Amino acid sequence: MKKLAAAVIVVIPSALAAWAFYLMITAPPSLPMGVRLSHPDLFEAEKAIADRAFLKAAYAMTWAVQLGYLAWLGLKWRAQKRDSTRSDRLPR
Amino acid sequence: MKRIAIGLYVAATAALMIWGYYQAIYVAPANELGQGYIYHIFYYHVPSAMVAFLFFTISLAGSIGYLSWRHSQPERALAADAWALSGAEVGVVFCTVVLLTGPIWARRAWGIWWTWDPRLTTTLILWLIYMSYLLLRRFAAGPQMQTLAAVLNIFGAIDVPIVYMSNRWWSGAHPGPVFGGGPDSGMHQSMLGPFKWNILAWLAWGLLILALRYQAERGNQKIAAEQAQAALEA
Repeated sequence: MKKLAAAVIVVIPSALAAWAFYLMITAPPSLPMGVRLSHPDLFEAEKAIADRAFLKAAYAMTWAVQLGYLAWLGLKWRAQKRDSTRSDRLPR
Repeated sequence: MKRIAIGLYVAATAALMIWGYYQAIYVAPANELGQGYIYHIFYYHVPSAMVAFLFFTISLAGSIGYLSWRHSQPERALAADAWALSGAEVGVVFCTVVLLTGPIWARRAWGIWWTWDPRLTTTLILWLIYMSYLLLRRFAAGPQMQTLAAVLNIFGAIDVPIVYMSNRWWSGAHPGPVFGGGPDSGMHQSMLGPFKWNILAWLAWGLLILALRYQAERGNQKIAAEQAQAALEA
């Protein structure tokens, strides 16, 4: 159970970071200037889609970093607990 | 009682995070900065920078405390050192968020991921300084390590006001100061509410992980002291 929890808290930040990269890579590219001028509505629609994708990517990246750090802290805490138990067992 | 208080704080922080997100996405005006939807990154990017500055300041205070008390009050000095390390580490986490969300915003707003603008460059230098502080703490050993790290922290903290003032002192691609930047600075009233909620939410989250990191470091110090004592007695 503990191993599963540790795996989940490591997997979630990694998945968030991967999702952020995926969103940025698959966002529609900027349209050429000629298309922008001749089809302003199309340009606005494409821009809105790309903006939303990048915004989601930024938020996903933020949480990937924050939860990744929390996961690292959790693993560190577990290792510390193990060390503490070992230290208590040392002969005095 | 302590467990209930911690549980309540965690619940309040989670509620604040959800409320902050709702404010940033659904309540904040759609296109206030004239950049389109992408400007909503502002509600994560700027509060993260503010929290990073606060934690680097806590870290500086911890290092000064450590240097002041290391001979006269060793136990207090160790607590100060734990604050210094925790503040630097959590500050680096928030600074990393700033350095990742900034280029994502810049790509859409300016058309480029990165430029050697004074604000961006000084922020990157700040991150590198504190990363070197953390690496020193991680890999250096010996009785002088904490003292050396504290001195590095004090010199590194000089970059915090430089980052803050960089867009006042030098011109660049980064927008000018929002607060205290003269008659043209400031924020539209409709942005202020969501912005304040997000500052509060990120501050609450930051304090939570800072407290966790501090507790972990105090635990480390306790184990190290016990092991040293056991080695002496053996």
